[in-house]
Amino acid sequence: MIESLHAGNFFFHPALLFFLGACILPFVKGWGRNIFIIAVPLASLILVLFLGYGAHWQVQVGGMEITFGRVDRLSLVFAYIFCLMSIIGSLYGLHVKENRQTMAAWGYVGSALGCTLAGDYLSLFFFWEGLMVTSVCLVWLRGTEESLRAGFRYILVHTFGGLSLLAGIFVLYFQTGDITFGPMPEGVTLAAWLIMIGFLLNAAVPPLHAWLPDAYGSATVVGSVFMCAYTTKTAVYTLARAFAGFDILIPLGVIMALYGVVYAVLENDTRRLLSYHIISQVGYMVAGVGIGTEMAINGATAHAFAHILYKSLLFMGVGSVIAATGRSKFSELGGLWKYMPWTFVFTLIGGLSISAFPFFSGFISKSMVIAGAWEDHLTWAGLLLTLASAGTFLHTGLKVPYFIWFNREEPPFDPPEKEAPWNMLAAMGIAAYFCIMLGCNPQYLYAMLPYPVDYQPYTATHVMASYQLLLFTMLGFFLLLKQLKPKPLIGLDVDWFYRRASVYFMAFCRNVPAAIDTVVISRLHATVALPLLRLGSRLSSWNDIRVVDGLIDGAANSVLRFSRYMRCIAQPGSLSKYLAGMLTFLAGTVMAAVALALY
Amino acid sequence: MIIVRLITWLRSHMLLVKIVSISVLVLLVVGDLLIPRHRPHFIGDIIPGFWAGFGFLACVLIIIISKWLGTAFLFRPDTYYGADEKGPQEGAGK
Repeated sequence: MIESLHAGNFFFHPALLFFLGACILPFVKGWGRNIFIIAVPLASLILVLFLGYGAHWQVQVGGMEITFGRVDRLSLVFAYIFCLMSIIGSLYGLHVKENRQTMAAWGYVGSALGCTLAGDYLSLFFFWEGLMVTSVCLVWLRGTEESLRAGFRYILVHTFGGLSLLAGIFVLYFQTGDITFGPMPEGVTLAAWLIMIGFLLNAAVPPLHAWLPDAYGSATVVGSVFMCAYTTKTAVYTLARAFAGFDILIPLGVIMALYGVVYAVLENDTRRLLSYHIISQVGYMVAGVGIGTEMAINGATAHAFAHILYKSLLFMGVGSVIAATGRSKFSELGGLWKYMPWTFVFTLIGGLSISAFPFFSGFISKSMVIAGAWEDHLTWAGLLLTLASAGTFLHTGLKVPYFIWFNREEPPFDPPEKEAPWNMLAAMGIAAYFCIMLGCNPQYLYAMLPYPVDYQPYTATHVMASYQLLLFTMLGFFLLLKQLKPKPLIGLDVDWFYRRASVYFMAFCRNVPAAIDTVVISRLHATVALPLLRLGSRLSSWNDIRVVDGLIDGAANSVLRFSRYMRCIAQPGSLSKYLAGMLTFLAGTVMAAVALALY
Repeated sequence: MIIVRLITWLRSHMLLVKIVSISVLVLLVVGDLLIPRHRPHFIGDIIPGFWAGFGFLACVLIIIISKWLGTAFLFRPDTYYGADEKGPQEGAGK
């Protein structure tokens, strides 16, 4: 059915809809505003349903072809989910009276759609930077000291990634003369690495991941709901487009999946815990892209689709708790089940979906990636990804609901009088509906995937294995519950290097080079110039005495010695020696004459 | 609120909940002996109850290893960055 809608040649860029909507929003008031906020993302979803396959909106710039609208099966899946998510997110943020948040969020969604539909690296880069600029606003709009700092760190890290991408694009252009955004051509190693680093940073692959929990834990409640959906998934899309089948991505993805799980144990902040699970879940997608078979690419795409829904659902649930109680730490929460039951149910649905419980959306997508690993005979990858999936349930399915809604009889603070506003609950309800709907009807999702799907998640063996894995994880959780009691601690991560080590570096600069400056440089004449001059004068006086004087005196002395010696031989001064000399000469002459006469 | 009533009822019948949960776990392993197996990818797909053991061990290992990493190297008080990031900047201003 969907196929036939895309047969035409219609194209209008959905990003433009969001950008225009963001500009008009401040002028719309009252109930019209509420309708407008829902209408714009809804219109974009309908628009995407009618986009025709092919390349649209192409411009020639300096001999390069810029394509703003490349529509194919891979870009469409991401465009669908980005638009669907924008409806849910906008509804969730409907009660926020401040327009700037929705404007920033729409700019952010538009940038993500721009990246998705970009057919060349230049327009990709343009929207890629747009993602950063708009999303940092969602962090800053929180308005706290902490979010201000986190936002600046976010910008610095992403600028690095963006520059790496740009450098890669330049190298690619000079080597091949082509900036079409497609599978990376052979023999452009440097360009491929630079571009990949740019993509991997946005996909939050360790060690380039610490920006994610940092920023998502500090953003506004609505902002983090948007942010958890777009940046990393745009990166997954670009990786799937350019680097499908690059083997390095398999170990990277598996490391991500486990890294997020380990750090989630250490985390005390609800949204930071969920952030680490984004890293873990994106790990499955990155690994799927690395495996690169049709099944694995399908799995990565399907997982991105399902992930956006359940992860935003989790962020919405936790965000509602933060909005209602003003608290985000597990150690300060608990006992809310009486006061926020609906939020609990929705969050639990998100938790069951991310844990890949049968009949929830994660089950039909995550298992495709893992099945891709098994079918490619990557047993180690399959096992480790399954291990990470147990860890996901442990935290997101069990730890998050348990320590927010139970653990205590009553909350350790004045309980919230009522649950989150209706629009938040409605947004969570829609996301929860899609989580269960897709889990029970995988064919709808499978029909959108880039390649034809020959996969059946609901086999007796698979369902049984999943239930065993997850429910025995639950057994382990309740047996080790004491170990997991939240404490007001944080786990150090690689952001230590730019948060703490940079402080040490500054302290080092203040102490060592600055001390050298005050003691040495500022008294340069005393510390360096004078000793040097003294040394110079000592050297020249040695030279004068030893070398110059020695040479002249020595020469005079030897002339004197030589003349004395010669005088002894040539002018002895006694008559007998002169006579003896003369006679010897005469005798020699006579003997010579005789010898000549004889011969 | 039906959800609140349901949770209250479950909480007041904890023993029942525990018995049901444990019997579900037992049934899962017993049921694994009975179901047909096709296209096993891995030895674990053939041994009944393999994934049950795997899930339990995975959970225990993840908790123990992460906790050990945390206490040995990574844990800091949650005010760790706050104090430090301000300190030097104020110092630099003076």
